[in-house]
Amino acid sequence: MSIGVQFYLTTILVYIGVDIIACLGLNLQFGVAGIINFAFIAFQAIGAYAAAALALGPPFPGDFQHYVGFGPLPFPLPILVAGVAGGVASLVVGVVCLRRLRSDYQAMVFLVVSLIATTVATNTSLVGGAAGLSTVPKPLYSGLGLTLVGYQWFFAALTGAFTLCVWLAVRRITNSPLGRALRAVRDNEDTAQAVGKNVQAMRLSAFVIGGVIAAISGAILVLFISAWAPSGWLYPETFVYFTAVIVGGSGNNLGAAAGAMLVPVLFLEGARFLPTLVNPTFIDGMQWVAIGALSLAFLWFRPAGIFPERARGPLTDKHGGQIERVRAMLVKAR
Amino acid sequence: MSQFVASIGFGLVTASILALAAVGFTLQFGVTNVLNLAYGGVMTATAFIAYLVAHAGAGLAATLAAGALFGAAASAALNRAVFSPFIRRGTGVFGMIVVAISVSVMIDNGLLSFIGPSFFSLPFSQGRSFYLGAMVFTSTELIIIGLSVVAMLALHALLRYTRIGKAMRATAADAVLARGCGVATGRVIDLGWLISGALCGLAGVTLVLNLATFDTTTGTEFLVPIIAAAVLGGVGQPYGAMLGALIVGLASQVSTVFIQPEYNTAVAFVILIIVLLVRPTGILSEIAASRELAA
Repeated sequence: MSIGVQFYLTTILVYIGVDIIACLGLNLQFGVAGIINFAFIAFQAIGAYAAAALALGPPFPGDFQHYVGFGPLPFPLPILVAGVAGGVASLVVGVVCLRRLRSDYQAMVFLVVSLIATTVATNTSLVGGAAGLSTVPKPLYSGLGLTLVGYQWFFAALTGAFTLCVWLAVRRITNSPLGRALRAVRDNEDTAQAVGKNVQAMRLSAFVIGGVIAAISGAILVLFISAWAPSGWLYPETFVYFTAVIVGGSGNNLGAAAGAMLVPVLFLEGARFLPTLVNPTFIDGMQWVAIGALSLAFLWFRPAGIFPERARGPLTDKHGGQIERVRAMLVKAR
Repeated sequence: MSQFVASIGFGLVTASILALAAVGFTLQFGVTNVLNLAYGGVMTATAFIAYLVAHAGAGLAATLAAGALFGAAASAALNRAVFSPFIRRGTGVFGMIVVAISVSVMIDNGLLSFIGPSFFSLPFSQGRSFYLGAMVFTSTELIIIGLSVVAMLALHALLRYTRIGKAMRATAADAVLARGCGVATGRVIDLGWLISGALCGLAGVTLVLNLATFDTTTGTEFLVPIIAAAVLGGVGQPYGAMLGALIVGLASQVSTVFIQPEYNTAVAFVILIIVLLVRPTGILSEIAASRELAA
């Protein structure tokens, strides 16, 4: 393989890993817990800014970028602290926005949160304003003594390791009693509450865990691309992840991961090879139109996605027959 | 002090545009039960239609009329082509909001594809200035305020005193019950899209009339204050949205006396947060309660 191909391949691998992590986080919130978080990208951004500011350290006198920074902290810490920052931000936003609102109303509120986060990041010098942060150092780059392309492979492997950890953690949650209860809340909130589930607390916990995962995905991405600015995380970016989860199969981790590989990577990368027509923004705009059309098509023809969520219920476990008999008796008695 | 009074003048202009937009948005939700996030996109599209019409030599009145017509037609078409088929197919509230944002992203970026990232402006001068104490209004601004007041009065008359207005209110309050009482809810919903679409179109034209320049993101950027005004008034309540528009419009302009103008939209956000914390159903909340929007 030529060096150029290796660069392209490793870059795509890192993007796939980051997108899978993000889609797993979004799937936990949207597919499992039923929260339409249209501000998801803002939490990825919080993680990215936190990791960037911690890897950079405070701005030196006469620095060309203005931001609030600490450290610099050594390698794994910026990513881990970024995760904590995402969790704290999710907790604050969740407490305000996750009150018992109808889901579309809630989604609208999250959309506004995303728009405002962009406004604040652009117009303050908290995280570098409209120009954002750049020259973020690559973790362990000088210490490892690898060639440029060798480091690319190292980073791809690192991203793979993080993706695996997040996958295992998310699978553990969705298979746990908490995951089961979250699906119950999503499918019928009143019933879940009637059997004694604390609906608000469970939603909030799924929202916070999703926020941590979003922030980790942003932290990994910023350490790879070394720069982050408000124009890169406008609210439609959240919509790409939503489309990915819907196409893959919401509520199913495998579906979310498959969607992450199909939609952001195939769709957005594929357009790179199209010729420039009409004007420079034509391809860029049409890409988004295509993503919108893809999401509408799946919602119309296959709302459960390519890999539908596995049907779970009392009838599939070993006591299923017994429960069914009891139910039949009850129906007859009525 | 004079700065403060002057900012109230600007606030009235913003509130007038916001009232057109927020009442249209809230009416759409009240009558049709769809939270149309593509509303800002339709406003932008209308602004570009107005640009074409105005540059073809039409006067201000004709441009406004064209905007209202296009907004109505586009909204009704959107409902017939997208929202209504999805609802008939059984897509729930949960899915409909994703449908709405899909449409919004498609409209915004479809415009971007063909128009590009340039800035445009309508070829109307602001006209002479009128002084009212410390407040200054250009004749264009007075036309905007007048138009908004007339539109609100007309809507009030429609909703209060006509059969079709009553049918709309009945559908908004309880569509199933209204149908049971012989209201042709399908036709009422179509009409709801037409009327709210016309308001959306007027809002789109007046918004860019008041701005020096606009581009393909202008309408969607205006969505924050629209949502804030609608939520403040209680989503689905036209009168609430009028009140909400007045409060958000005035607050966003008066606040510029005290804080940097970039935080204009942040004021709308703060209002939204406070409403959600204190009273998520808004000030006037009959519909919000019946739709179980918030508990």
